[in-house]
Amino acid sequence: MSVLVRLRPATRLPRPLIAGGAIIGACLILAIFPQLFAPYDPLKMDYVALNQAPSWAHPFGTDNFGRDVLSRIIFAYRIDMQIAIFATVFAFTFGTLLGALVGYAGGRIEALFGRVVDAIITFPFLVLVIAIVSVLGPGLVNMYIAVSVVGWVFYARITAAEIKVQKRLDYADAGRAMGYTHFRIIFRHLLPNAITPAVVYWMTDMALAILLGSSLGYLGLGAQPPAAEWGVQIADGKNFMTTAWWSSVFPGFAIVTTGLGFSLLGDGLAEVLRTRK
Amino acid sequence: MPLSEFLARRLLQLIPTLIFILIVVFVLVRLLPGDPTSAILGDRALDADVERINRQLGLDQPIIVQFWLFVKSVFSGDLGNSIVLKLPVTTLIAQRLPTTILLTVMAALIALIMAVPLAFVAALQREKLADASIRGAFQVGLSMPVFYLGLILLTVFGARLQWFPVGGYGDGFLDHLYHLFLPSLTLALSLSAILMRNLRAAIIGVLDAEYVSFAHAKGLAPRLILTRHVLRNALISTVTIFGLSIGTLLSGAVITETVFAIPGAGRLMVDSIYGRDYPVVQGMTLALAVLVSVTFLLTDILQAWLDPRVAR
Amino acid sequence: MKFFKAAALSAAVLLGSTVSALAVERGGVMTYGRYADSLFLDPVLNDANVDIWILSNMYDTLLLPTDDGKGVKPGLASDYKVSDDGLTVTLTLRDGIKFSDGSAITPEDVVFSLDRAINPDNGIWNFLVSSIDSVDSPDAKTVVLHLKHPDPAIIPALTVFNTAIMPKAQFMASAGTTDKEKAEDFQTHPVGSGPFVLQSWDRGSTMKLVRNPYYWDMGEDGKPLPYLDGVTFEVIPDDATRILRLQSGEIDGAEFIPFARVSELKADPSINMQLFPSTKVNYITLNVRPTVDGKENPLANVKVRQAMNYALNKDAIIQIVTQGVGTPMTSFMSTATPLHSGDTPLFPYDPAKAKQLLAEAGYPNGFKTSILALAGNQDDAGITTAMQQMFAAVGIDLEIKQVDNATRTDLYRNGNFDMRTGGWTDDIADPSEITSYFAYSPVIEAMHSGWSNDEVNSLFEQSQSETDPAKRAQEYARIQEIYNSEGPTLPLFETPYPVALRKNVQGFVQIPLGNNIFRSAWLQK
Repeated sequence: MSVLVRLRPATRLPRPLIAGGAIIGACLILAIFPQLFAPYDPLKMDYVALNQAPSWAHPFGTDNFGRDVLSRIIFAYRIDMQIAIFATVFAFTFGTLLGALVGYAGGRIEALFGRVVDAIITFPFLVLVIAIVSVLGPGLVNMYIAVSVVGWVFYARITAAEIKVQKRLDYADAGRAMGYTHFRIIFRHLLPNAITPAVVYWMTDMALAILLGSSLGYLGLGAQPPAAEWGVQIADGKNFMTTAWWSSVFPGFAIVTTGLGFSLLGDGLAEVLRTRK
Repeated sequence: MPLSEFLARRLLQLIPTLIFILIVVFVLVRLLPGDPTSAILGDRALDADVERINRQLGLDQPIIVQFWLFVKSVFSGDLGNSIVLKLPVTTLIAQRLPTTILLTVMAALIALIMAVPLAFVAALQREKLADASIRGAFQVGLSMPVFYLGLILLTVFGARLQWFPVGGYGDGFLDHLYHLFLPSLTLALSLSAILMRNLRAAIIGVLDAEYVSFAHAKGLAPRLILTRHVLRNALISTVTIFGLSIGTLLSGAVITETVFAIPGAGRLMVDSIYGRDYPVVQGMTLALAVLVSVTFLLTDILQAWLDPRVAR
Repeated sequence: MKFFKAAALSAAVLLGSTVSALAVERGGVMTYGRYADSLFLDPVLNDANVDIWILSNMYDTLLLPTDDGKGVKPGLASDYKVSDDGLTVTLTLRDGIKFSDGSAITPEDVVFSLDRAINPDNGIWNFLVSSIDSVDSPDAKTVVLHLKHPDPAIIPALTVFNTAIMPKAQFMASAGTTDKEKAEDFQTHPVGSGPFVLQSWDRGSTMKLVRNPYYWDMGEDGKPLPYLDGVTFEVIPDDATRILRLQSGEIDGAEFIPFARVSELKADPSINMQLFPSTKVNYITLNVRPTVDGKENPLANVKVRQAMNYALNKDAIIQIVTQGVGTPMTSFMSTATPLHSGDTPLFPYDPAKAKQLLAEAGYPNGFKTSILALAGNQDDAGITTAMQQMFAAVGIDLEIKQVDNATRTDLYRNGNFDMRTGGWTDDIADPSEITSYFAYSPVIEAMHSGWSNDEVNSLFEQSQSETDPAKRAQEYARIQEIYNSEGPTLPLFETPYPVALRKNVQGFVQIPLGNNIFRSAWLQK
């Protein structure tokens, strides 16, 4: 953000960017210093206080192991912010760059790229996850690998489609006429204009990654016990939805607010990128 | 290039992709630890039983031989028999795939119906109350795990209000549609949130771009500007995301199918992976690959049509 | 058998209360929600509980298990007699018995069915009848089994699904050349000997059974069983959805209710929440080989195993995983298994003793080990997470490895694991099955643990041809004594089968072996 401020000191920052930045900033603080905010040890079980309803002692209640739900949610920021970032950042970077090159090149390269995309999207995702987990063992890092192997395709395809549009616009022709290198045209002129959808999608994708963590947690392939992670908390709390709703509803709020933060951040970034040109 | 030639070329291009996918799946499922027999038998399996049954299934042969036999039978239209269910894979595909296609199509339609108009409202009312509430609502939809959202819909609209059946697939086409409404809605909610967000950003981008101001300056009616210029350009990345999401929906609706007790392709695929039912994994992958490729083909055609140059 | 989740004997025996003074009512179709579909409905070639537990509704056996799962009552055979030397079993077929297509059940069909069951090339269940040398039929009413050696478990074996009677002529007329091909074809148009017959089967979704009009047994009203016109199985894999459908009245019964929901459903006035006694035991199997993966293995030390047992607070695990529905184990086999012995819970919680034993074993500071859990299985996640905390208190650092079922099977079959979660249910009302897998090392090295005990092995071999029931009981008592104190397991708890029924469902029972019995079920209008 500071870079952007320096770039455009005169312009006021877009409001979504400020709001989103504030939410994500708060999330990051929780992720870095959970022990300052959590009232209890997130792993400590209390066998005589299973599934306790919210109270002054446990504002969000306790789960089926008698662990404090609030403390688990706070400690989960560390893992879930990691999931949001690491499960998507590689896909975003690689996908966007490759998409830009492919979209610019067009023709045969693009056709070949289309086949690769087909193959990857069609490939049964769970076969891939199970294969990776079987070989490397379950856990978050292997989840990042599996998600990234598939995820970059989205960014690449989105960016390639946008670049194709941009390169036909007048300023690209102008760049070529002025004898700029392809590299300069792509990365200095086309990509900044074409990257908006990818950035917006990236921010949504971060929320989706947390949810995927939840689905994989449901299948036991995500974060490993006893680690606190919102998705796993919701999956664990599902059986108690009718009797102890607090163990699944509060982690859900954490996902919603974090997702909203990323989404606002994405819109703000899109605005900044647009006004920059 | 005429459309028919374009289609023919794309379909030809599909063949190497399919072969590539088949080889990877064939090898990968066999590299997974365990084998179908001990996967089913679990604790009980005596070594002698496992060896005997694997021999009966031809799984003791070298992988190259197995692949050759498989390829030979694929070309004669036979995808083999399920090891676990003891049925021809083609029969299973015929039973399961239509369900999944129906579910996906309904989900896609519902997602579009929700996302497109609301994206326009949100973009035109940027940062006003309408925008904030639309985005807030979609964000909640996007942030709920499918198994949780599905269960809430089932509880409220199925068990409480009794507007819809509590899961299942029903008999006959209309009954299928009725049974599939809640699951489609479940799938559609997160998809529509993605589409809405992307489309909203795209519309804002286009509205801010020079050529809309230029059109305004030329004195074109605002509605014409919206439909002719804004919509087309804004749709490009949305169509891309839509196509890709449909692709993953087709093979990835496992949890929705489980929660709503729908006998679809996703559930069969996951059961077959866990059961190491090699022929079913291979056959379903092949069938899904064809479907997804067709979806991409349609997306490409749509995109070519939306392309500003073609549109001009 | 074990396989996914399942359940054992609890104090709450509600069976008696359902058979009330009400007059039975006939007719109607009962819809039953299952967590998974069947795979292959052949009595001999099937391999999973999803088949076994409903097969007895379609194919009758010569003898039938009693509802308490421990005894035997007449079935297609009205009488049986074991010779004094224990080497021949003579069975008398009931008069006028017919298959579901109206054709007579003849001794020829019985010989054919039993020959299929004992054929070592067929399926995995032939070990249950491996003592049978040959089967023949001297006259139109009699079937004789000739045994290789006296077999105390042969009578209960004749109640097990794999000895069910199938029609020879109709089976042989099916398409295909091998037995397996014929079985695959036959199950598409089956003819059965049980109270119901398969009418249609929409894989992964619905299975419809209709009443067999030729069934031999009589109901309370003096007319032939079954009372129901049919049974429809709906596959509803998600627990919460299954319960919702039951509550909304779309189905009449639902199996495998999560224990977390039991007390809530007990309070529901429209639901009859049943906890049927079962033979289900839940335990941890330990790898006791001296080295694992080239490294020295602490679990090979019997004191370490005992320390781990004392370190586990089983009552807390029962609360966390079963919400108090489960009961502590008193032996490695369930209390519903015949010849079970032991009346006090094994290894009461005692962390001080655990630490002391660890120190004696040379691990005063504990050690690091791991456990395989089934990915996505809530019970496994609960058990292992609680274990991790309890072990940490005595210095044992437990790593949880969640893997899918096939991977887990592969790892433990190759002896490449430290610990694993496990569950088991008996298929036969006899202790020999569970003992052969758990304790008798020549079968599968005591659950692939690598544990072997010469005394247990020879006691088991003796018991397999022991004709004196008292002696056999003594042999089993000793086997259990040894295994329970130094065996390769951490026994956890027994669980019942949690089944929820609508209030108007009567006479349905799931017996301790797991079989769902619909023959006497009826719906109150």
